[in-house]
Amino acid sequence: MHRLAVLVLAMGTSALAAPATPSLPPAQRTATHDMFEHVINTPTVIGRHKVPDMAQYVADQFLAAGFPKDDVHVLPYHTSSATTGDDDTAALIVRWRAPGNSKLKPIMLMGHMDVVEAKREDSTTDPFMMTEQDGYYYGRGTTDMKDGIVGITQAIINLKAAGFKPKRDIVVLFTGDEETNGIGAKNGSSQWLDLLGHPEFGLNADGGGGNVNTDGSPAGFTMQTAEKTYAGYTLTVRNRGGHSSKPRKDNAIFTLAHALDRIEAYRFTPMLNETTRAYFDGRQKLEKGPLGDAMRDWLANPNDAAAADATEASESEVGITRTRCVPTRLFAGHADNALPQLATAMINCRIFPGVEPDAIRAELERIVANPEVVVTRNDDQKASLASPLRPDVVAAYTKAVHTLHPNQPVFPEMSTGASDARPFRVAGIPIYGTNGGWTVTPIDNRAHGKDERLPVQSLYDNVVHWQILLRELTGK
Amino acid sequence: MKFVRPIAAILLACLATPALAAPSPLTVPSKLEPAWQAKTRALFKQLIEIPTVHHRGEVQKMAALIADQLKAAGWSDADIQIKPYEALPGDKTAALIARWRADKPTKKPILILGHMDVVEAKRSDWTFDPFVFREEGGYFLGRGSSDMKNGIVATTMALIKLRQSGFKPDRDIILFFTGDEETQGKGAQLGATEWRSLTDAELGLNADGGCAGYDRSGRPLGCAISMAEKTFQTYFFTTHNPGGHSSRPRPDNAIYELADALKALQAHRFQPMMNEVSRAYFEARAKQEGNNSLGNAIRAWLANPNDGAAADAVEANELEVGHTRTRCVATMLEGGHADNALPQTAKATVNCRIFPGVDTKAVQAELQQLAGPKVQVTMDPAFLGQSSPASPLRPDVVNAVTKAITAIHGPKMEIIPILSTGASDGSFFRAAGMPVYDIDGSWGISPDDERAHGLDERIPVRAMYDDVVHWEIVLKELAGK
Repeated sequence: MHRLAVLVLAMGTSALAAPATPSLPPAQRTATHDMFEHVINTPTVIGRHKVPDMAQYVADQFLAAGFPKDDVHVLPYHTSSATTGDDDTAALIVRWRAPGNSKLKPIMLMGHMDVVEAKREDSTTDPFMMTEQDGYYYGRGTTDMKDGIVGITQAIINLKAAGFKPKRDIVVLFTGDEETNGIGAKNGSSQWLDLLGHPEFGLNADGGGGNVNTDGSPAGFTMQTAEKTYAGYTLTVRNRGGHSSKPRKDNAIFTLAHALDRIEAYRFTPMLNETTRAYFDGRQKLEKGPLGDAMRDWLANPNDAAAADATEASESEVGITRTRCVPTRLFAGHADNALPQLATAMINCRIFPGVEPDAIRAELERIVANPEVVVTRNDDQKASLASPLRPDVVAAYTKAVHTLHPNQPVFPEMSTGASDARPFRVAGIPIYGTNGGWTVTPIDNRAHGKDERLPVQSLYDNVVHWQILLRELTGK
Repeated sequence: MKFVRPIAAILLACLATPALAAPSPLTVPSKLEPAWQAKTRALFKQLIEIPTVHHRGEVQKMAALIADQLKAAGWSDADIQIKPYEALPGDKTAALIARWRADKPTKKPILILGHMDVVEAKRSDWTFDPFVFREEGGYFLGRGSSDMKNGIVATTMALIKLRQSGFKPDRDIILFFTGDEETQGKGAQLGATEWRSLTDAELGLNADGGCAGYDRSGRPLGCAISMAEKTFQTYFFTTHNPGGHSSRPRPDNAIYELADALKALQAHRFQPMMNEVSRAYFEARAKQEGNNSLGNAIRAWLANPNDGAAADAVEANELEVGHTRTRCVATMLEGGHADNALPQTAKATVNCRIFPGVDTKAVQAELQQLAGPKVQVTMDPAFLGQSSPASPLRPDVVNAVTKAITAIHGPKMEIIPILSTGASDGSFFRAAGMPVYDIDGSWGISPDDERAHGLDERIPVRAMYDDVVHWEIVLKELAGK
């Protein structure tokens, strides 16, 4: 996922007295380690054609664990776009059938096998050669998100070996291009839905998870229930241009500069949904100062825009109170001695769930308020939707977290980034980011960055975490 | 021309002309014989369709094509040289130097200047392919049709025609066509220095820039010849930022900071200035404009050079843009590296035309002042402008041009000196001591046909053909007596 520094929230936690935390037996620990090492060492970067190898490897693990061939599908597909390059990639779908005729629709477990590029010269050690040092596993994909792939896979294999029989079908979807084009998730939410058995909801390992502060204190676990819609727009100004020795009164670049100025000054209307309300309600309990006051004022009166603005202005809350749009690229002109005939700015928007990208296009047009500035969309993204806070999922996630981390508070989260979850939410299938991995914040926030790493214990905790989740949600 | 003075800059209206409905300049038949029209059109088409934009490596092809035409018309191999050179890094271009030797020269040579390269033109910006020659509605269209493959064709055809008619020049006539006037001007620099033994002449006649045009009602606008030119200098405005993920916008943003500086640039006005050439120009303009608001503003400014409001009123007139001061304008932008990342850098190209005598470093300081501390203002190291002196108003050139335009366009017109708002290849020769006069004879309609560097560039069909006649007369006058 396009992972961001996850905010830590507190939702009334009582430090439950917990029994001894469960851990993996040595044989399962070894199997988990070996699988993790194998997939980390497979460089599933776009253009390297390695995702099909990884998909086949993971498929082989399921087959070896006794899943029938007919329920294990490696689905090759192509991914490409003008900006990301292209790749022959693959998805993996595995179905664990419940005995008898369950009337319940399957639960889907999701993740992505691809990783963001990592260059050898930018990394301390070879990012595609897993190394263990000082209590960490290092390598590209250790947190985003081969830990989740291994967590789900090993949990299923262990449960099956233990004789567990799910009361509803469990279906696994691992895609191969989440970091680039998301074609796998689009296919999953459309043409592969029959193969997936039209799941009732999905649990995404590419979302959620927890943090520990550097002093060892708990910083919270989050369950991702919503994400903003990513949508790109272009502002275009055209002009007759001409010779630069004779400046015209109208100039495409100056017109664009004024439009950007208006966008800079504009604030979209603050919005709250179920997820962010629960989030801010948890947050305000931890914030005693002016930031907490602003949150409390806003929650008490959702029309108190000043309180919402004060909340948004905090570095920790950027993007959570509303739609945000920001210019990310500029292009204009064709020669240094010619007046520009064309000036464009790319505007990247992260839209509050439920708001249509077309409506934002119209709003940008109103903000700019100049017919010479044409606002167009760069993509056909659909509005992302928030998933309802299902009590069964919340309870299962909370139980899994508290079993392993009794002192950690749990909150819902709206991600300002985007993941494979979106097309499923748009298709009416709620998705919950429920991974159980944890890192030390902020020093381990290295997804997409240099020397990505995962605490060793987190890898094994996550297998146990998924076992608990599946027992809770499919065993009763 | 990197810097041209567009035709209309000048607008020296013949106010003596009664306000009769003049015939459209587009429909008046050209004075060029039909057989030569066909030859001219054929060469023009060939040259327009060679996309001589920098880095496309096409200039040598164009130079070879012109050389072949000259050889077929009697030039010896020894008198034609194609000089390859590199302009922008990696841009392999060439200059053409061709000498028509006089049997018994009685004067130092005449150098005819032009450039073969053109400014980039994007198919997506134009309404048709800029590198496919078209004739439509009385116009020839295509990139370079007015800047300045028209001048290349006119001077080349005029020389061929004169030679075939048996004309014997009394001085050498040298064609010097460069291949990077629009970018570097390196060809002209070499021509004025390293290749000087091949180009040395008493004076230069630059085909890159004409002296006149028609207004929309079909009246001739008279003729002004560039005697001095502004200094060309490009600057960069750059902003930097740590950037980050675009889902979490920072309060500071490289693009917004650049946009603020651009707005400040747009609002900025440089100090008005006047020199001998522009004073002579405005004195003539004041007479022409008479008692209207522009004429009054010009007179007020002439009477009191410190009357900034009057100078602003003059500058604001579409016809006088750039004549009263240094002007700087934003021409290009780039910023950011990914759609979903906050920009770490944003950069604007700001192109300045600096009043002669003003130091480019002083302009840089003024730009830095208006842009503010968040913006870094630097000079484009690829081209460092230098001031050039004015050329004297030579009676022989004035007479030759007067004769040509009278023959083609009717009543005698006053010719006045003008400060060109840009510099052309001529600046390097002026700086090296050779006077240069921009006297091309392609008369378009002002301002509609002023599309050099812009969209859908064009030239009236008649203007292309009459330009051959124009150069024929000018050269007969200057090299035949």
